[in-house]
Amino acid sequence: MTDTDPTSATDAPTGTEADTATDTAADTPADTAADVDGDPSADQPDRPTVLYPIQVLEGESLPVGIADVLANAHVVLAGYHVIPEQTAADQAREQFGERAMAKLEEFAATLADAGATVDVHLVFTHEAQTTIDRLIYEHGSLAVLVPNGADALESVLLAVRGEVGLERNARLAAGLFASTDATLTLYHAIGGDETEAEGESLLDSTVTALVDRGVRPEAIDTILDRPDAPFDAIARHAADHDAVVMGETDPSVTTFVFGMPAEQIAERFLGPVFVVQRERPGEEQSAADHPDGDQSGEG
Amino acid sequence: MGRDDVLEGGPPTESPESPEPTPADHDRDEGAGELERTIGLVGGLAIGIGTMIGAGIFVFPGLAAQNAGPAASLSFAIGAVVALLVALPLSELATAMPRSGGGYFFISRGLGTGPGAVIGIGLWLGLVFAAAFYLVGLGSYAGQVFAEAGIALPVNPAVPLGVAFGVALTVLSVFGTENTASLQNAIVIVLLVILTLFLSYGSLDALGVFGTESTPERFLPPGGTMPVLQTAALVFTSYLGFAQVATVAGDITNPSRNLPLAMVGSVLVVGAFYVVTIFVATSAFGSARLGEFGETAMVEVARAFVGLPGAIAIVVAGLLATFSSANASILSASRAVYAVSRDDLLPESAGRLNLRYGTPHVALGMAGGPIVVLAATGQVELLAEVASVLHLVMYGLVCIALIRLRRESPEWYSPSFRCPAGFLVAGLGALTSLSLIAFMQPASIGVGAAVMIAAYAWYRYYATDVELKGAF
Repeated sequence: MTDTDPTSATDAPTGTEADTATDTAADTPADTAADVDGDPSADQPDRPTVLYPIQVLEGESLPVGIADVLANAHVVLAGYHVIPEQTAADQAREQFGERAMAKLEEFAATLADAGATVDVHLVFTHEAQTTIDRLIYEHGSLAVLVPNGADALESVLLAVRGEVGLERNARLAAGLFASTDATLTLYHAIGGDETEAEGESLLDSTVTALVDRGVRPEAIDTILDRPDAPFDAIARHAADHDAVVMGETDPSVTTFVFGMPAEQIAERFLGPVFVVQRERPGEEQSAADHPDGDQSGEG
Repeated sequence: MGRDDVLEGGPPTESPESPEPTPADHDRDEGAGELERTIGLVGGLAIGIGTMIGAGIFVFPGLAAQNAGPAASLSFAIGAVVALLVALPLSELATAMPRSGGGYFFISRGLGTGPGAVIGIGLWLGLVFAAAFYLVGLGSYAGQVFAEAGIALPVNPAVPLGVAFGVALTVLSVFGTENTASLQNAIVIVLLVILTLFLSYGSLDALGVFGTESTPERFLPPGGTMPVLQTAALVFTSYLGFAQVATVAGDITNPSRNLPLAMVGSVLVVGAFYVVTIFVATSAFGSARLGEFGETAMVEVARAFVGLPGAIAIVVAGLLATFSSANASILSASRAVYAVSRDDLLPESAGRLNLRYGTPHVALGMAGGPIVVLAATGQVELLAEVASVLHLVMYGLVCIALIRLRRESPEWYSPSFRCPAGFLVAGLGALTSLSLIAFMQPASIGVGAAVMIAAYAWYRYYATDVELKGAF
């Protein structure tokens, strides 16, 4: 956009104080230069891209131990601030932008010290869901993190739902945890008219996919059961583990990130939950190539 | 992929994957955060229509018919033409400079600080006058609720109720953090449905389909075209809302398409409704009779067609419409204050946000305070005309700014929408907007001029060293 082009500032003979402030802000060596060495949508198998939404200005900070959990990830640290409609977005940015960015940089440094690569974004928005959804899409994020504190990372629960998300689940779990000492427990809840044999075979192919990606076979465990309420069961099993990886279930991503079931599970489980995103149409193409921009207006 | 790349990256010159600026859905200011664009075409239309429709249908028909007779339709049509001539240049400027502040921003960057200051402060106060006018209308409809309920009040409740709504709306916009965008869309849809039903029925009736007698009346008023033009000047307030779309240009998705469509579309929609409304109203009653009904004339028109249910439907619609217009004007006025203070033409503290609610409480107070005072005067016509004068000056200068920017075509000026026949449209836009002022009452022109002179004096006193032309 034109107003972010730093070169245009040179047109101004004598910038006013306000303008100078804006321009300085735009010139601050801040972030996202991480993209320089590659297409952000191409998440390397060894470093899965994880979107970490964080409301910095609401006082949200990094929970204990999260940096270690994310050590092998490419983290898109998405700071966002929801502003009421009566406030112009650029007004909020002008007043809070630098402060929020400083906070984010601090968090990014912590994550980077633990080993992650970090890509920092700060967005002022009237609709948090639109923003998160866009960032997931733009960065080809494999998963969204629902952050919570974690103790020493010893075991991870991977909730397997079906063949559809298997590939991406495995990519995330292996990418994050293959090189750690953590054990991976695969859990599948049999439901409907699914037979036990089908459940077994699903778990087996997941194990194969993980081992193919470098997870030690002896670090993998499996659980198969037929619970009444699958999500309750995930939360129950999660209690024995330090982190959860689960798939996106609802057709609408946005409900998923903010409402049911992942957040509920995270609330009961009190540990970090990775919500693996289903593949988007056209994800292989340019990340800048947006779907219809009108959707956001019809709320 | 070292971590140093992330933390010590150079200035965000351009993102590697998109070397040329693409119409992204968000603002890529990487230094202090991006801005999410969240308003689509529907939202833009709702802002435009929602801001405008309150006045033309629910406040003006009685006054306009009294002055110009059935030819008041023509007055509304003239207003629509002027608005359209301004909407196109405004769209071009808004896509080139998608900043809050709308017309003020374009004029200060295109024509310099002096005109910018006059327009910026004038826009703030113009919206204050407009909001006060809508509040009196809202008060009239709220008073009508008592009348319909059969409760006799000792005094006309319009002004006190308008003042009360003014206070309530200001407080709500400071402390309310609920997202009201969907509410605004719903209000506009309900309004359009009620009005479409009502006006279709009324038009058929007026054309004699239902066999009711309609009031034949000569089209032009006794005074000829003069009253028509004067009425056009009076009712121009009904079109002020389209420019509000430009003030949220930074929040609109795909602005090169959605901005012009939302502005032109909302003017066409409300213009059509206005013209038909006058036609229906003057068919139902004689113009003089309509004038006696005053601000709530449409309630009587609806009562004449379908009895009490019609009257109630119009009272409800009138409440929604004037409420939505008043609310939109208060918010726009606060955005104008912010835009001006960002440029140091007002003290910086005027644009402050409180972190707790994220709302610009100082600017909202600077809007709400004078609005309440003005609403207390209850001078409907004066308030409307002063608002129009201040806006029309801005529209004229916006058109001139477009012509000047196209001539000079500075490096930073790259609009993604270009106004067709730009020089002609902008030239006509400037001419018609500024000429319309001549048909206002002298008192309104006087108050408008006084506001602008005071704004200029403030600029000379407070901000002579601010240079804004081309500062972008």
